Amino acid sequence: MGSGLDITFMLEILPKLLKGALLTLELSILCVILSSLAGLLLGTARVLGPRWLRMLVQAYVDVIRGVPPITIIALAYFGLPEVGLTLDEYWTGVLALTLVGGGYAVEILRAAIESLGKGQSEAAAALGLSRLQTYWDVLLPQSLRLVLPPLTNELANLIKASSLLSVISVNELAKTGNDLIFQHFVVIEVLLQVTLLYLLIIGSLDVLSRWLETSRLVHPERYRSSA
Amino acid sequence: MLSALPRLLPALWLTIEISLIALALALAIGINLGTLQSYLRPGHPVRRLLRVYVFFVRGTPVLVQIFGAFFLLPVLGIELSPFWVGVIALTFNSAGYQIEIARAAIDSIDKGQREGGLALGLEAWQVQWLIMLPQALRRMIPPLTNELSQVVKASSVLSVISVFELHKASNAIASTSFKYIEVLTLQAALYFIVIHGLSLLSRHLENRLPGGPKLASAVR
Repeated sequence: MGSGLDITFMLEILPKLLKGALLTLELSILCVILSSLAGLLLGTARVLGPRWLRMLVQAYVDVIRGVPPITIIALAYFGLPEVGLTLDEYWTGVLALTLVGGGYAVEILRAAIESLGKGQSEAAAALGLSRLQTYWDVLLPQSLRLVLPPLTNELANLIKASSLLSVISVNELAKTGNDLIFQHFVVIEVLLQVTLLYLLIIGSLDVLSRWLETSRLVHPERYRSSA
Repeated sequence: MLSALPRLLPALWLTIEISLIALALALAIGINLGTLQSYLRPGHPVRRLLRVYVFFVRGTPVLVQIFGAFFLLPVLGIELSPFWVGVIALTFNSAGYQIEIARAAIDSIDKGQREGGLALGLEAWQVQWLIMLPQALRRMIPPLTNELSQVVKASSVLSVISVFELHKASNAIASTSFKYIEVLTLQAALYFIVIHGLSLLSRHLENRLPGGPKLASAVR
């Protein structure tokens, strides 16, 4: 390799890498939506459900947090066909990442509800609302705003975790980059672009999450004027 | 399923070994750089450089960092075994997070400590390293326990560069015995015991040590 970067080569492979980055984004956004729904469902079960259901949800959360994502991906890849569910690599990946993200989404919702403080549920009880009404009409609407910043963060985590789908041959950004390295035996140019693309995506999410943390959308009460 | 256990245990030991080495090296780097970052005035070039480093570590997948170490070290003329490439990659990753842990812990120490130190005639760097840091160390223990479990999880990715840690070893065993589900479940159970154990330990320490749960959750 000569001195300096091979800019022509970098431009030549850029479309392929952008395609990979797009797949990474698409996968991760799909998974963050699905795992938010799973988190909402399981989080509700955890608050309102009977004891056995709450323990089951807690066990799921503990397992997800206690096992590396790559193990979950491998389990989904080899396990799903054995239970008769044959999916392609893409949907296997979506399912595995949703399982992972769902575990964290439950925790995010729990933290948001807990941060509301006892006063909310006490006031609701004093007004004669049932447990279901308290949860659905009082706690949940308030916490849904609070989960936006951590969910943005979770999307960034899913983007990082989606790189692991390269081990089951999903052609996302990391896999595309890796293939290019072995095709052309060029290391620095490829790694540089892969890194910059990830930094661009995750960095903008970081900015978005920090903006959301102080924004009117999430904390309207801080912006309420006396007028 | 349990017949695979004797073959997985050495791999589990490798996972623990590589994680502990990386955590220890990253600790030495992270604590000092984190202390330095909180010591330097805002806008200092070194402080900016540290922020770029942390941004880089947090903004890229650990897989890319591992590939980076794997491909770039030979380009730089450094030929190492996969084990040590793995140690370097995990250290590089963990140090970024530990800078944040150390900085947050030091910033959480009461300002009076610094003022008191300065009033006694100590130099600013002495105050930082001899008064602030030792007190902050205790507060770093719960988030560092948490960080160790993150390193254990990240070490599973070293399978892609053929480090025979737990994930790689179970894949190898599974692909020769075709008992994928059994071996992978066993692998998950072993990881769970280590990582969940660490998180229980971290929660226990949080309640025991000053600083409390607030700090630990502020760092991650």
